[in-house]
Amino acid sequence: MPNHRSEQTGQPPRISVFWLVAAFALASTIGVLALRTERSSAARMWTFARLHYAMYVPAVEEWNKTNEPKVEVSLLGIQAVEQRMLSSFLTRKSGAELMEIERRIASRAFAGPLDGVGFLDLTDRLKAEGLDQKINASSFTPWSTRGRIFGLPHDVHPVMLGYRADIVEAAGIDVSKIETWDDFITVLSPLLYDDKGLRRTDRFLLNMWETHMDTIEVLLLQAGGGAVDPDGMPMLDNDANARVMAHIAAWGHGKDPIAGDAPYFSASGNRLLLEGFVIASFVPDWMCNVWRNEIPQLRGKVKLMPLPSWERGGRRTSVWGGSMLGISRDAENHDQLWEFAKHLYLSPELSRELYTKGDIISPVKAFWSDPMYDKPDAYFSGQAPGRMYINLATDVPPRYSSPFSLLAVERLRTIASRLASFAKAQGNATPESLLPEARRLLWEAQEEVMEHARRNRFITPLEGEGS
Amino acid sequence: MSAQPVASLSHSRVQSRALPFPIAPWLLMAPFFFGVILFTLVPLVSSFQLSTRQTFGPEFSTNVGAGNFKFLASDPLFWTALRNTVVFTLGSVLIQLPLSLLLALALNRPNLRGRTFFRVSLFSPVLVGAVFVGMIFAVIFDKRTGLINRALHAAFGWDIDFPWLEDYVMPSLIIATTWQYVGFNMVYFLAALQNVSAELGEAAMLDGANAWNRFRHVILPAIMPVGTFVVLLSIIGSFQLFELPYILLNGTGGPQNRGLTLVMYLYQTGFQTGDLGYASAIGWVMALILGACAIGHRVVSKRGERA
Repeated sequence: MPNHRSEQTGQPPRISVFWLVAAFALASTIGVLALRTERSSAARMWTFARLHYAMYVPAVEEWNKTNEPKVEVSLLGIQAVEQRMLSSFLTRKSGAELMEIERRIASRAFAGPLDGVGFLDLTDRLKAEGLDQKINASSFTPWSTRGRIFGLPHDVHPVMLGYRADIVEAAGIDVSKIETWDDFITVLSPLLYDDKGLRRTDRFLLNMWETHMDTIEVLLLQAGGGAVDPDGMPMLDNDANARVMAHIAAWGHGKDPIAGDAPYFSASGNRLLLEGFVIASFVPDWMCNVWRNEIPQLRGKVKLMPLPSWERGGRRTSVWGGSMLGISRDAENHDQLWEFAKHLYLSPELSRELYTKGDIISPVKAFWSDPMYDKPDAYFSGQAPGRMYINLATDVPPRYSSPFSLLAVERLRTIASRLASFAKAQGNATPESLLPEARRLLWEAQEEVMEHARRNRFITPLEGEGS
Repeated sequence: MSAQPVASLSHSRVQSRALPFPIAPWLLMAPFFFGVILFTLVPLVSSFQLSTRQTFGPEFSTNVGAGNFKFLASDPLFWTALRNTVVFTLGSVLIQLPLSLLLALALNRPNLRGRTFFRVSLFSPVLVGAVFVGMIFAVIFDKRTGLINRALHAAFGWDIDFPWLEDYVMPSLIIATTWQYVGFNMVYFLAALQNVSAELGEAAMLDGANAWNRFRHVILPAIMPVGTFVVLLSIIGSFQLFELPYILLNGTGGPQNRGLTLVMYLYQTGFQTGDLGYASAIGWVMALILGACAIGHRVVSKRGERA
């Protein structure tokens, strides 16, 4: 270091700015390096649901007492799980060895070629152990792409209608007469309510709106439609989708509107449910727990009934939501991690916890005879929701995942909105009058998504192109 | 004060005898250059390279040449996103900035009581994160229970089901961002107004100029450099719109993609669909548009300086 002492001035030596900055940079680098935490040798597991996390901690502790590898379970936000999962798959760097993911995220993991999917292919293991027969069949479909299964299902999630029994019964209405959606409207229409004669309906029969994509999908799947076919290709343009879309638009904005907008998962929606703004809402098994916790005031005022079907003798349920446990393809100890996954997901203890704490029925058929599912529930006016959902479980429609799921669902969302605008413009729209427009919009959307599908060279390679 | 530069200078002189150029400044700037190269230039080149490929992670990648850009040209969603972004930008520039200027003019009056209070009140929304603004306005714009519809219904019999976030997505976004940024832009204008010579205004008044003419011929030319800068900032900020519609519309483009912006489409394509190449192409088109705006700003500024 040069000596800056000035003999003329006699001032003390000064450290140059350069060395000061250099020393600071060095110190901060050492500081940052010192902050690095050593990675534990335990396998990591990510989950996104607080309820799941609380249930898993004891089961993981139990596993860690006698088994290897040890597992560390972490609770992350759903978007954090999604982004971390995608990052680890894209870069092939280690994320977590085990990931619990939600249905919508799954299709993102399936965007590349089959051998690029970051989850371990479980198909052969499931078949070899007969688990494909022991678990409800439709529970596998969201975790499957191009015929291969990449996750162990967590649930079934059948859907029923939750309705304001206090209002319905006070009006002397018997919901057992309802079999189809047409019956639903006919039987419950006396409850449509025009407040203060303002010619504005203030009580609707169904909580359904063109912006509720989740419930639109519930109805599409129930009718045998949906976004992608079993091969994972877009299938927007079909009779079932057109029929459902036309009905949804007419229910909201047609000649005799019966649907109102009480947004799900929001304080305003909950308040509207309390006010009786809508009579019936779509309620998958997990939603029972959401209602129980978020709208305790509805205790004893609501009941469940199977979904009305689209035709007599048709399907009385659908499906909403779902989770799976996947094993990272890049993890070591696949066999041990598979054993852990079964220990966690397929144990009778977890099945009981799942229902008693989360109102979720197990996908393992052998557990369905458990008497806990028959227990009357005061929140649902003495009904036994568990048994009601189980009775519908085998009828839950399949829904498929593919790299095009997201695109296709987004187009369905747009169609619902455009058809609603069309119905508003028509004024006196009926499902029948909206059908041709629904068909046209679906055809357009199908073409558009197929353009994207044709562009994807990993799934539909062009001749003469290498990868 | 003088000892330190003398010392550094003598040090540089010592070094300059041994080296053809002084090394200390380069060493001091090295971390900055290292950062720029690593975090700006390399990603820039990589993203351009990526825009010519279809990818799924580092393992699966295939060259598509200009395929992504060609597909972009015929992609209706891209055009929807671009149109929405341009509409939002125009809304921001043509509504928000004049409003900011008006407020600045009002709050620049020396005899106004409570000036500081108003300035702080108008500036404070910018301190709220965009995510929280999104959450607040999601509640405010709700149909039956939202503050706006309830208040207007009570006062004027306004339709309580007025669909702000369904049929009027873009106006809703413009209202929310105006609330958030009007005070921020006002501060720029206020600073510019405080630099306008009072003598010029007085001279114009003595010459018989009315308030409008004083504004038109004295104030506006004087604040023009700041004005064009604020316009450029607003354009860049508007093109980057993401968090607010993402929160307000629940991670989607909203009904009929009325709230889909270019950055949202980029995010959806790159991080939801997983097509990083296509997302890079969108990013480059956006960069070109913003580059053109910056050049436009430069041209306007130069003309202003010459005038």
